[in-house]
Amino acid sequence: MTNFTREWHSGAALRLTLLAALISLALIAWSLLSGAEAISPAQQSGDPEANLPFLFAVFIITWAAFFVYVFYVSRKQREMQAEIEALKRALEERDEQPTEQD
Amino acid sequence: MTQLAANPQSAPSSGRGLVRDALLIASALLMALTLYLVYFWAPTEQNLGVSQRIFYFHVPLGWIGMVSIIIVAIASLLHLITGRQRWDDLAYSTAELGVIYASLILVTGAIWAKPVWGVWWAWDPKLTTTLVLWFIYVAYLMIRAYGPMGGQGRRFASVIALIGAIDAPIIYMASIWWRTAHPALNIGPAADESEAIGSSEIYITLLVSVIAFTVMYIALLTERYALRKSESDLDELHQRMA
Repeated sequence: MTNFTREWHSGAALRLTLLAALISLALIAWSLLSGAEAISPAQQSGDPEANLPFLFAVFIITWAAFFVYVFYVSRKQREMQAEIEALKRALEERDEQPTEQD
Repeated sequence: MTQLAANPQSAPSSGRGLVRDALLIASALLMALTLYLVYFWAPTEQNLGVSQRIFYFHVPLGWIGMVSIIIVAIASLLHLITGRQRWDDLAYSTAELGVIYASLILVTGAIWAKPVWGVWWAWDPKLTTTLVLWFIYVAYLMIRAYGPMGGQGRRFASVIALIGAIDAPIIYMASIWWRTAHPALNIGPAADESEAIGSSEIYITLLVSVIAFTVMYIALLTERYALRKSESDLDELHQRMA
């Protein structure tokens, strides 16, 4: 990465962060000024099982997120371990070379 | 999961590896117990119906999402004071997990809100400050990904984490400080006793769920921290090769 691109990335990240902070402050101000009117609960249909799909949606999304994350960490660890081993072997070979020449 | 414990500095056979395996087994057992309690033991709440069971996922996620930013801030502060890499590794690992938890808080909250409030989202102080928390995590990770390389980027991110941690107590106290449609606090030091959960089965299920999610969070954080250390090892090896 050149100095220019690094500086551009750095500046872009800071600008985006600043923008996110401003949006956040605006959202908080909006929510407070609007008085956060209490929302009346939706009428229940009387059937306690009526919202079962919502419960299963939460269940599936939560577990899918965790499984995907664990899979990602696991795969990355495996790849990194292989790269570490390869680099260690390369370093050992490089260190051994002058000894063989002697 | 044993693949995850492949860090050369903490092989699975070491004490640290055993602790990690024990954490994973404990979290799996506790999660199985939680699922049993949530679906088969806890009674259906009369007013909210079955959608109240979403709380057993949403509340622990919310709790851990808030705790995460505090951990990121403390680790960042220690990194700024001591300059030690391991504190930065801990802050980064926690922030990455934090953004997942914060995303899940928002998604599960929206799914709960739809059947109960009739809308997916409301600009309620509690929800808005939680969205801000998500922005803070994203800002932290963006600084790490695109910010200056080396120590400067780490310091910038640490400052963001310290400022961001202010949001955690605001989220927690939002339903006390402002008029909000969000349900009252159920856990923590400021939990409202007048809003206490009536059924002991519901309370026990929520408690077990919070413990199970917390143990799973510690297990995931341990794995992510080990991966972060592997990344540091790899950087060091690349520098030696150059």
